[in-house]
Amino acid sequence: MALEFDPYSVLGVSADASVDDIKAAYRRIARRLHPDVNPNHLGAKAQFQDVTSAQDLLLDPLKRRTYDERAARQADSDGLYYSLQLTPSKRTITPLKEPQVLYLLAEIFPDPRAQESIKTRETRLNLTLVLDHSNSMKGVRMEKVKIAAHQIIDNLADADIISVIAFNDRATTVIAATTAQDKPALKAKVSMIAPSGGTEIFQGLNEGVKQNRQFLGPKLVNHVILLTDGHTYGDQEKCVELASQANTEGISISAMGLGNDWNDEFLDELASKTGGNSMYIDSANSVVRFLNDHVRNLSNAFAERLSLSIAPDPDVQLELAFKLSPHPQPLDFATGIIPLGSMQANRPVSVLFQLQMPGEMKDGFRSIARLVASGDILENEVQHMQIVSDISLEVTQQQTHDEPPSAILDALSKLTLYRLQERAQEALERGDVAEATRRLENLATRLLERGEEGLANQALLEARRVAHTSGLSDKGRKALKYQTRHLLLSSSNEDPT
Amino acid sequence: MILCPYCGNENREGTLFCENCGQGLTDATSGATLPTRQLEQMPGELSARATWGTASIGEKTSLIVHIRDVDDPVTVQLRDRTVIGRSDTTSPRKPDVDLSPYGALEKGVSRMHATIERNEDTLTLVDMGSSNGTHLNGQRLSPDQPRVLRDGDEIRFGKLITHIYFK
Repeated sequence: MALEFDPYSVLGVSADASVDDIKAAYRRIARRLHPDVNPNHLGAKAQFQDVTSAQDLLLDPLKRRTYDERAARQADSDGLYYSLQLTPSKRTITPLKEPQVLYLLAEIFPDPRAQESIKTRETRLNLTLVLDHSNSMKGVRMEKVKIAAHQIIDNLADADIISVIAFNDRATTVIAATTAQDKPALKAKVSMIAPSGGTEIFQGLNEGVKQNRQFLGPKLVNHVILLTDGHTYGDQEKCVELASQANTEGISISAMGLGNDWNDEFLDELASKTGGNSMYIDSANSVVRFLNDHVRNLSNAFAERLSLSIAPDPDVQLELAFKLSPHPQPLDFATGIIPLGSMQANRPVSVLFQLQMPGEMKDGFRSIARLVASGDILENEVQHMQIVSDISLEVTQQQTHDEPPSAILDALSKLTLYRLQERAQEALERGDVAEATRRLENLATRLLERGEEGLANQALLEARRVAHTSGLSDKGRKALKYQTRHLLLSSSNEDPT
Repeated sequence: MILCPYCGNENREGTLFCENCGQGLTDATSGATLPTRQLEQMPGELSARATWGTASIGEKTSLIVHIRDVDDPVTVQLRDRTVIGRSDTTSPRKPDVDLSPYGALEKGVSRMHATIERNEDTLTLVDMGSSNGTHLNGQRLSPDQPRVLRDGDEIRFGKLITHIYFK
């Protein structure tokens, strides 16, 4: 068992807890997390198993002593860590007949020493580029992608591992996974890619993941970048399955859409399965910058395969999860285990949750949810570190008028814009043109208030287009989606670089 | 339940931004509403008449005032300067629009609360230094600073909430 699994914190008992304390703590927590009250909830299930094994360990005198001794030794060494901080929108809550909304900001902070340690030690990359070379890439797009790939290869350390796949209807392995020593030869191979054929993403992605597996390791940043400018037909489900599989193996996937003719929902889903990013690159000229920035962030990784599991109490409902930092991204929270990808040494990973609290709550302190952050700190010997945190608040009749924390307000004011855009899309899909128009107009109003005139104009333009043609333009749709999402970037943390 | 001051959507308690229109619902966030005057000056592309009701009035336009929790709307014949407030037995002056039948005293409406002024083809709302303030679409007016009214605007006198429509 990995040492980072701390049975005391999982059960919330002190190191000198008696057997009775441990049993009582187990009963208290198990009641909240038991699979019977949380059916089909992987997050709660995994947490329940942790609690059970924590109890088993601590109730066995021999195992407990062994653990204590190992923990004491570990405390003497200087492994790095990360911390999990939870901030609710309210600390006290007035009980009501009807349900009410609570927001929760979860921030995972890297060890303060991480920035120093990253300077002395290169993060080793296992990078796979999966590049679309279908006919539509012809011309400046293909050239820019090649330039970007060349620069990425140039910037790799000799020990880094690179593989490159080009795909159209079929996949071609341009560079089989290898260390990035002979850069001129690698670059020459990339130069040979020529556009032809259609777009079938699964072929390319599958080959990419295969190549990435060759060097897959817990001490590496195992990452696949998919770059496409087109729609793929019929193989989307297979791609998403592949992404889920890759995630369990420890490979993350980022998806970049170039131009306006690709399926944003699909690429979002693909990336969210692995904690990767999905990005909109509006013109070929931006490709080089986007790709290089992305790879630079990867090589700044402090921890990998980060995930956050959240198990709300049985009467609390999770309604929304959105990653705010380092890259704003809607999250797939259906299972309760949320892949978050990699953590950079200089920026926290933060996630905003929206929860619904039940009506008719009793007075007193009550728990809301348990969150567990897990991940691999690349520098540490022992991997799979876990941090457990329970969030609770006070239910009281007394009215309090605390302003919500400004971090939550700020993030939410921007997230609201993204959601307005999302709701306009949903209304359109239902065929409700009037509502879609109204939502887009509201979005324009809110954008204007923030001084985002360009984007406000775009929203108004699309509102008019919707009213006339019952549809958004491809460009407008993507611009609104990814640029409202981008607004969140400035909110969470100033980039220290 | 939190009623959105901008669109009237019913949001669950605890919601910080209206689920329907994105309006901030707490004191810290609601100040962001765009002043109508500013909107007036937006370049053509942003006129957005559909989003906000028209500001222009005709010579014969009258004002329909819907007061919250009052069934029948009040029709106001506009003068050049229409004073809104509540009558008081101790004071000889009476406002042109008397809100005292609608709980004005309990809701903190001042005797001379605000005026609506008729300009060439617009109406402006001016707070007369009332004790509890005048809010236009959720934003508090500074006393003596005129603001253009639009069809469908929400005006709050103290705690008394009204919506105005042009007819």
